[in-house]
Amino acid sequence: MEHGLDMLDKALVAATGGDRPPRRTRGQALDAIDRRIIAALQRDGRAQSTAIGEELGLSGNLVANRIRAMDAAGLMRVVAVADYRVHGYRLLARIRLTVSGRSPREVAEELAARADVLSVHLTSGRFAVSCLHAFTTARDMIEAARDVSAGIRGVQDVDVELVNTVYRYSPSVGPLEA
Amino acid sequence: MPDDLPPVVAPDLLDRQIAAMLAQDARLSFRKIAADLGVTEGTVRGRVKRLQAGGLLKLTPIVDMFRAGLADGGGQIMVFVTVTCASGRLDEVRDRLLDLPLVRALYDANAAHRLVAVCLLATVAEAAEVTNQILALDGIREAESEIVLQTVKYNAAIGPIATLEDFAPAATETARRSTAASSE
Repeated sequence: MEHGLDMLDKALVAATGGDRPPRRTRGQALDAIDRRIIAALQRDGRAQSTAIGEELGLSGNLVANRIRAMDAAGLMRVVAVADYRVHGYRLLARIRLTVSGRSPREVAEELAARADVLSVHLTSGRFAVSCLHAFTTARDMIEAARDVSAGIRGVQDVDVELVNTVYRYSPSVGPLEA
Repeated sequence: MPDDLPPVVAPDLLDRQIAAMLAQDARLSFRKIAADLGVTEGTVRGRVKRLQAGGLLKLTPIVDMFRAGLADGGGQIMVFVTVTCASGRLDEVRDRLLDLPLVRALYDANAAHRLVAVCLLATVAEAAEVTNQILALDGIREAESEIVLQTVKYNAAIGPIATLEDFAPAATETARRSTAASSE
């Protein structure tokens, strides 16, 4: 068991190395003030620095500087999350692919180039690539699945699952730049 | 079918343009957005308010999972756990999964029996433990976990948020905890 976990850890480090800091680095720590500012931004993402400062007993300048610094370091950003329906999509599906004779990374990049593919991950297990795909109609979904299996070299099996009800979605932690 | 829009006016091109401008920086001034899009500041303010009221737009801080320290949710491993429930047990299993704060997203897929949980975990060992915990739940036929080795694309600006009553419930518990701790 230990051995398997070690191997997985090594695979993780190998897979995330290069263009991104290794997973094992401690990263930059936020301090207590940063965390309280983030908590205030969770209540209102557009709260004025002065208002946050008053609430926390800090100067507005300090709050503004902290927010700027966290943003500049790529540690935290206040973003707008729009529902997929705002962008005209009506359906979401998870599409998972088995890949053979080609690097899964290349397949993933081909998928990532499509605007209606919202996220793409390389995963352990039978399916090498997993993505979240948005669609405007059911016909779109069927055509996209056919497109992926016939149009992307290296793709073997395609598994499509329609997302029905979403019970939880909390993007409070996530990759900011992928 | 997940296509039931909440009772708001259907979003139009201007809504999409405003959402796109706020996607990268939700604190951008409405004046700047208005100037760029050739509308008044009041229009921008009204549109944002309407989208927010309809649950279609959330302005929220995101902590980077690769750059932040472990205490703030950084350096975590993303794991997809796909659970096949025994017939008629989906609601029960769903509630048990929602009890786990490390389940950051949960939805049911295809027909009636399948739940997909997106978990954020500190170590591979923890991932193994969580899969074991989930497998031990009553009403589950099988569970399969996939560890994310690399994220090639992640669009934080679009998500399934409109039908949620409770958005970001697990939102940086660390932030909340430290706030509580420092006010004690």
